[in-house]
Amino acid sequence: MARSWLEYKTQAWVQWCPGCGDFGILNSIYRAVSELGIDPENLAVVGGIGCSGRTTYYVKGSNFHALHGRAIPVATGVKLANPSLNVIVAGGDGDLMGIGGGHFVALGRRNLNITVLLFDNAVYGLTKGQAAPTLPAWIKTKALSMPNIHDNINPVLLAFAAGYTFIARGYAYHTQQLKELIKTAVRHRGAALVDILQPCPTYNNVMTNKWYEERIYYVDQEDGYDPVIRTPEEFQKKAPTIAAKLMEFGDRIPLGILYWNQTRESFEERLEKIMPGYMSAPPATRRIELDGKPFLHPFDVFKDRLIVP
Amino acid sequence: MVDISLIIGGPQGGGIESAGQIAVKSMVLLGYEVLGSREYHSNIMGAHSYYHLRVQEHRPRSLKLPVDGVLALDAESVFTHFRDVRPGGILVYDPGTRSTRVDAIQPMAAPLKKRLKSLFESKGMQPIVESAVKLAEEAGARIVGLPLKEMLKTLSERTGAPVARVSRALNTLGLASMLYMLGVPVEYVEKAIALQFAGKEKVVAMNIEAVRIAVDYVREAFGEPVERLPPGPRRGQTMIVATGNDVVAMGKIVGGLGVITYYPITPSSDEALYIEKHSYISIDGPLAEKLGYDKIAVAIVQMEDELASINAVLGAAAAGARASTTTSGPGFSLMNEAISLAVEAEIPVVVTLWMRAGPSTGMPTRTGQQDLLHSIFSGHGDAPKIVVASGDHVEAFYDAIKAFNWAEEFQTPVIHLLDKYLASSMVSLAREDLDPSKVSITRGKLLENPPGDYRRYEVEEDGISPRARLGSATMVITGLEHDEYGYATEDPVMREIMMFKRERKFKVIEERIPDEEKAVLHGDADASIALVSFGSTKQPVLEALEMLRAEGVRARFAQIRLLYPFPGRLVEEMVEGAEKVIIVEQNILGQLAMLLRAHTSIKPDSSIVKINGRPLYSFEVASAVKRILETGEERVVVSHGS
Ligand SMILES: Cc1ncc(C[n+]2csc(CCOP(=O)(O)OP(=O)(O)O)c2C)c(N)n1
Repeated sequence: MARSWLEYKTQAWVQWCPGCGDFGILNSIYRAVSELGIDPENLAVVGGIGCSGRTTYYVKGSNFHALHGRAIPVATGVKLANPSLNVIVAGGDGDLMGIGGGHFVALGRRNLNITVLLFDNAVYGLTKGQAAPTLPAWIKTKALSMPNIHDNINPVLLAFAAGYTFIARGYAYHTQQLKELIKTAVRHRGAALVDILQPCPTYNNVMTNKWYEERIYYVDQEDGYDPVIRTPEEFQKKAPTIAAKLMEFGDRIPLGILYWNQTRESFEERLEKIMPGYMSAPPATRRIELDGKPFLHPFDVFKDRLIVP
Repeated sequence: MVDISLIIGGPQGGGIESAGQIAVKSMVLLGYEVLGSREYHSNIMGAHSYYHLRVQEHRPRSLKLPVDGVLALDAESVFTHFRDVRPGGILVYDPGTRSTRVDAIQPMAAPLKKRLKSLFESKGMQPIVESAVKLAEEAGARIVGLPLKEMLKTLSERTGAPVARVSRALNTLGLASMLYMLGVPVEYVEKAIALQFAGKEKVVAMNIEAVRIAVDYVREAFGEPVERLPPGPRRGQTMIVATGNDVVAMGKIVGGLGVITYYPITPSSDEALYIEKHSYISIDGPLAEKLGYDKIAVAIVQMEDELASINAVLGAAAAGARASTTTSGPGFSLMNEAISLAVEAEIPVVVTLWMRAGPSTGMPTRTGQQDLLHSIFSGHGDAPKIVVASGDHVEAFYDAIKAFNWAEEFQTPVIHLLDKYLASSMVSLAREDLDPSKVSITRGKLLENPPGDYRRYEVEEDGISPRARLGSATMVITGLEHDEYGYATEDPVMREIMMFKRERKFKVIEERIPDEEKAVLHGDADASIALVSFGSTKQPVLEALEMLRAEGVRARFAQIRLLYPFPGRLVEEMVEGAEKVIIVEQNILGQLAMLLRAHTSIKPDSSIVKINGRPLYSFEVASAVKRILETGEERVVVSHGS
């Protein structure tokens, strides 16, 4: 049941720079979770460190503000312990692609049911504008004394290679579309990435609103692109087209749902498969004592170590 | 009194571990208690490894050297262990290797080769196996030659399997011969083999045939054993034989473990593997009814690295699960940042830290106590935590459960400190040794139904806020300084309030943890010599105390269990009035001595240290104490073990 987005607003002062793309993302999150009707207690926003990670204070939820780069593993633990929570990761491109790159890949491999929102401004915002892994080569933003000599990582292609089953790209100032993408991502069962292009008015004076507006377009408004995989066989057929679309980043930048694989089982489903009962008595909430005492005895459980005469 | 020690040496991958386990099981079936430990190189196959075993009527406290028997399954083992046989003991070897030269043994470490060559040279002998055997004989060992090649041929003929296949029973041929010579009734060896290879009938049959061939040969060549080992006090009793890795795993599962993560590293991986084996447990009807579920499913996940491992358990713990990760030195370094987060965010996690010999990757498969300060000072920025060290397998089991209790009661990370020696050493345990009813499961201020205006970091008198699971209330758990709700703040006043709140909590920890769980005084309380130690040196030190007493030297021993918060007052009381304070620890910096200096007015007089990566033996401690009494040396380095 839909709720008012105001229910998700906290009393914390939002301390982003004026004009920051993060405001658009925040508003889209408010609208998405309220339209989905998620109880704030049932929503766990796990943030990394950076301007983006602050989202944990602004969205009312059962949240965790983690370390730089470690939001995904924290979210993984939350989800493993309590699979019934809606877990959203909010991190920057430095956070998720740089220091936390290994975790980003691992989440895809596991296909755990977590939504990753990548606040992609191509710079390290909170530490004052250093080049982030998504900044294209030879761009010199104003905080840099020399042009960036690293090539940029492509988050959506990386996610595809890693095994994410839902991949979308949004634009921070297009809150209506972004809200819809976030909603679909949260509803999807499996690892979902929404790469959110986000102008940083303070440090990224190259990839500005104008720069983006000249390049972005929505894939669903063009003919014939179908990102959805409904059967395993379909994957082989569509993968090359999808990969090509994911690679597109330059004069034209595609937005919208870029890939959506509905066939792969999520990590929780796999756990449930090998351990029936896991979901109904998850580690976070099952009782672990009886009258304040353990209820298992090693001699009854660890029979492989018994020496029986 | 039965007291038998054995060394079984051979190439890694050559069945040394299973030979050791068969020996252990035979002895336990016969009614004895055992302590067995494996020493191995950091490689997969080929290099020398050995199983060191001691059998007594009660649980042995320490491994012993020299031993009653060395079984050398290859030439390298003869060279490595010929000096480990006591006068009157047995050296079993393959005469087929008689003329093998030291230089021909590729995996042998160059420094050992050099030491051996100069030894043989000094005696005017050739650097070959025969010389080593001769020296052992001169030192009083009984030499037993086993023509292993011919025995394998016989085994191949009798089983119809090719020699290549039956050569996997080489360890059994040797072991059975050795156990026969030591007077172990053969039926126990056969039973142990059936247990060891349960479910693999062909393997059992082949190994039992190997036992017969070995016994026939030895009986013919050397006659009946001098003495038949009588049944021990535990005969007929069901026992558990488990390593330190195993008992910690058992403690965690019994203690309510919900989520455990790890990244493979010696010596912690075996704990994780054992948990994996038992991560899904069915519960019987009546119990299930009371609990409301009938299957325990522990989420055990091999993560992409240690950073992920610890951060995932922080998430899981915040969500309400009992969560733990297990690692060793290098992995623990990677966890430091998150340890700090756990302190600031007040998250209850248990990190099991299996120390090994560093620095860096150092000697990955050898033991040491070099991470004591690392564990205590892990984490940046005023990050106190609980550090508890187990002295032996029994303590390790209970500590694994208690660590969760403390973590939850005090909402802070608990580091459970152990080492490779405990990890891989195996002991026999009776039902009452691992009795979960001796411990409670306490979850501290865990709210089932948090109030509407829930404050995760509510400032309370004792510094401990009511805790709610993620998912049961809105909140922010954070590593940034925060107000009562968890909202980040840099307000100077709030900062102090929160710093004092966490500090108070540590005062409360000091008050609430019972003294007997902080430090234990063993031995003669009024003796003028006081030994101070922590961790797995406990049992060797205790045996050393007995040895010293037998020689008229009385000593007491303060075993420190809680390393942080350090029980300074208690330790002071324990050593009060002693004329000589001797620290026993397995690191070169004197890390425990440093802690004593920092937290007490005790000025240690001397220390006994062992840094060669091998377990500490009781006889070493006893003789080092005597040496210190005679010479007043400040530091005695003990160095036994191969
Ligand atoms: C381990 C560690 N290294 C460095 C930092 C410093 N740091 C704080 S925020 C940040 C960069 C954040 O950039 P990004 O992830 O792109 O997010 P943004 O601020 O742009 O939203 C860094 C490097 C830190 N907090 N922790």
